[in-house]
Amino acid sequence: MRTQNLKPVFAGLLSTLATLAIVASANSAQAVEVAFERDTNLPVVNLNIAVKAGAVTDPQGQSGITNFMGEMLLRGTKKHTKEQLDLALDQMGATLEVETRAEALILRGAVLASQVGPFLDIVNEIITQPRFPESEVKKLKSQIVSNLLEELGSDQALGGKRFTQFLFNGHPYGKPVMGNIRDVEKLTGDQIRKHYDALIKDKLLLVVGNGDANEGQIRSWADQLANVRPSAPGDRDFVEVPQPQNPEHRRLLIVDKADRTQTQISAGQIGMRMTDADFFPVFLGNHAFGGGSFSARLMVEIRVKRGWSYGANSYFKHGLKPRSWQVHLFPASKDTAQALALSLKMIEDLQKNGITKEEFEFSKRSLVNSAGFMYNTPKKRVENKLLERTLNLPDGFMKTYGPELAKVTLPQVNQALSTYLKPEKLSIAVLATAADMKEPLAKAAGVPLDQVVVQPYTEEKF
Amino acid sequence: MKPSPISQISKVCVLVPLLAVITAMAGSGCATKNLKTGHDASKAEVLPLVGTIQVHRYKLDNGLKVLVVEDHSSPTFAYQTWFRVGSRDENVGYTGLAHLFEHMMFKGTKSLKEGEFDRILEGAGAEGENAFTSRDYTAYVQEMPADKLDMIAKLESDRMLNLVVNDDSFKTEREVVQNERRFRTENSPDGLMYQEIFGLAFTKHSYHWPVIGYQEDLNRMSAANAVDFYKGYYSPNHATIIVVGDVKADAVHEMVKKYYGAFSPQQPPAPSIADEPEQKSARRKVLKLNIQVEKLMVGYHTPAITNADIPAIMALRGVLATGKSSRLQRALVETGIVSSVDAYDIDDKDPSLMLIGANLQKGKTATQAETIILREIARLSKELVSKGELDRAKNGLSFQFYQGLDNNHEKAGFLGRFETIANSFEDGVQKMKSVQIVTPEEIQRVTRKYFEPRNRSVIVGVKK
Repeated sequence: MRTQNLKPVFAGLLSTLATLAIVASANSAQAVEVAFERDTNLPVVNLNIAVKAGAVTDPQGQSGITNFMGEMLLRGTKKHTKEQLDLALDQMGATLEVETRAEALILRGAVLASQVGPFLDIVNEIITQPRFPESEVKKLKSQIVSNLLEELGSDQALGGKRFTQFLFNGHPYGKPVMGNIRDVEKLTGDQIRKHYDALIKDKLLLVVGNGDANEGQIRSWADQLANVRPSAPGDRDFVEVPQPQNPEHRRLLIVDKADRTQTQISAGQIGMRMTDADFFPVFLGNHAFGGGSFSARLMVEIRVKRGWSYGANSYFKHGLKPRSWQVHLFPASKDTAQALALSLKMIEDLQKNGITKEEFEFSKRSLVNSAGFMYNTPKKRVENKLLERTLNLPDGFMKTYGPELAKVTLPQVNQALSTYLKPEKLSIAVLATAADMKEPLAKAAGVPLDQVVVQPYTEEKF
Repeated sequence: MKPSPISQISKVCVLVPLLAVITAMAGSGCATKNLKTGHDASKAEVLPLVGTIQVHRYKLDNGLKVLVVEDHSSPTFAYQTWFRVGSRDENVGYTGLAHLFEHMMFKGTKSLKEGEFDRILEGAGAEGENAFTSRDYTAYVQEMPADKLDMIAKLESDRMLNLVVNDDSFKTEREVVQNERRFRTENSPDGLMYQEIFGLAFTKHSYHWPVIGYQEDLNRMSAANAVDFYKGYYSPNHATIIVVGDVKADAVHEMVKKYYGAFSPQQPPAPSIADEPEQKSARRKVLKLNIQVEKLMVGYHTPAITNADIPAIMALRGVLATGKSSRLQRALVETGIVSSVDAYDIDDKDPSLMLIGANLQKGKTATQAETIILREIARLSKELVSKGELDRAKNGLSFQFYQGLDNNHEKAGFLGRFETIANSFEDGVQKMKSVQIVTPEEIQRVTRKYFEPRNRSVIVGVKK
């Protein structure tokens, strides 16, 4: 019986699991939010200190500065040199890494449980007493520039990055989190210190973790952070991001790289907020189209029937504002034009005709039954909490997927797809050898040949 | 890969994995295997993993091993099937068959049409349905809601015995694998270097060729090759089933007996794996690649995973490259020569390689990094490491070990890997305990024994 099968039984079962509650520190006027889940299974503690501001805050001409500033926190404090910090962390069996997102900068720490106390001391020092020594600025610049050059060897990473820059066309979401070489080489110590002062404030800080530690110890520690880095009156809880817009018409970018036997295709448009009323219907429709299932249309048509690409899928990236929805596949060069043409036709068909009843029922059953896996481990719950707080989502949002998807109807899905999808405004980026591919790709994309943008893969154009 | 609320990427996994889907059919090889009657009634061995975590181990009469860890912290479980077959078992001219066959395991069976296996699992809410092939093993993995044990045991046992391989689906899947090869190797500088270092270091042993195979060999293969491979290696005496999560160990044992107990063991093809002759001198190869900064990969022959010297080699690797205060980090990254450096133990059944890989900084040469790596290794053979330095390395390795047991999937992976390549997960646990008592003298001894120039192979990647 269909309705019985579709009940979110699994999600219901999982709702009894431990949850991470956000509690603002109570003992001071300032507040660093803390969420910690005790988990004694292994003698390890994971601790994430997130700043609710990421690469979108990079000023014009200073792309990569948020990431750079985060990395510089680990390169010397008023009490310890980088070498001393590295030694201390290794001695504890600890790791401390920087992850930069569009709207978050996260210090990801992990440590053997026996060393939590000294680890917290050192992380406090790193966050509140950085020194930004010039010698380390110089070394880090060289390292990041080299990383950016090394990335040019990875077709998948490069193709995705160039697509994002092309889609957002100047909007902050198009900024590469590591920056571009031109900007990174020009960053100064003063700019980095100024950016630190702007971002490291208690209202933008969040501590989320799990493991074999005492929650009270983590909360007390967060209180100390708040006292040292108080916000000023009027400071915001989140950064401001302008609303991105789709272009007026379909566009094609070829990222030109020699000798490719395989291409990287990304095609997409501006995405949708997770709190948008149409989000769950479109999410379900996307699952049927290309969202992670081996029974999805894209996978069946591109891979299973034709063997054109190892992977073919579609997915959202989310932000405080709508970010992107995109299709990705990587066919052999010989099949690229056909694969692109078919993918675009499939997007047009999805917008026009929606998904079938059978696809709807399968996707709904699959998504509802698997929803519990979104939060079945402490680490996933930590990641969920980081997302909720950095993207300004309601507490427990990830747990609503099962129940919300269970309520979605087929007419809602197809109406939402029809309204949301804009095949005529797609941005398409293909990493390929342009001399061989420009004409067939222009034809497949339906973009006039003289409007096709060809960008050498080493060029930082956007 | 299941939908994630944030962006996420392609469904490509590490090693040489993949899921496949199916297309049915007639027309070709249909593997037939014998059934036998009678069940095993053996009792579980109950063995410690770490802390309070216990492993229940059973063995059926037909040779199938079953390992179960009960963890009731969430109503889910990981179910993994590990076969003791990989690219090591392939023959010259047919490289990549083990991995290509892995893709074929997602095709139809006698009772399921193509595509049904995936649809049933996805509809039931399966997570992380996937597979991967290495030099020594092939594994099929997924996580399930707690009430789906019967379903997954039935589906997995069905494809162990009743797979149908047909020509049309084989040809399409071969094209998919060739695209995977283009992705992982042909168009990937790192993939090319990894392929080349094993090709350089091994001249006779099957570790010489890449798991994904050579393009010309893939072109040569037919569905008949896949059927023969299936008949030879996919049988209960070649497999271990690992279940970790919200299950009862005895119930899993009963379920496995119900669905697999009647399968007959199969005699595998006679092994034809050549011993690798001792390397007599250092080897070096320069690759011209589509890159902007140079790359370096250095490999040293190391012993089989079960060798008693492995813990000391792990500690040596820790001293060299685990943590930001490690020797190579300080000598190469902090001095501005490379942007990243790492070292890897390759957990292989037979003697394999320890690899050191580095990406150079702008304007620096791979030769500069190579000189420093060799200098640091020479230092390890001349001077004893300090206690503090060794303690740091041990802490880092301990931490990595615990992080690798973080969830049901990871725990099952650890158990499956060591049961398959070392014949017991206890070997993996013991290695970590042994690492903790490695002495500076032992590090010096294994450095002198294995990290000598004649045992070295080097691949240098330069801009084309």
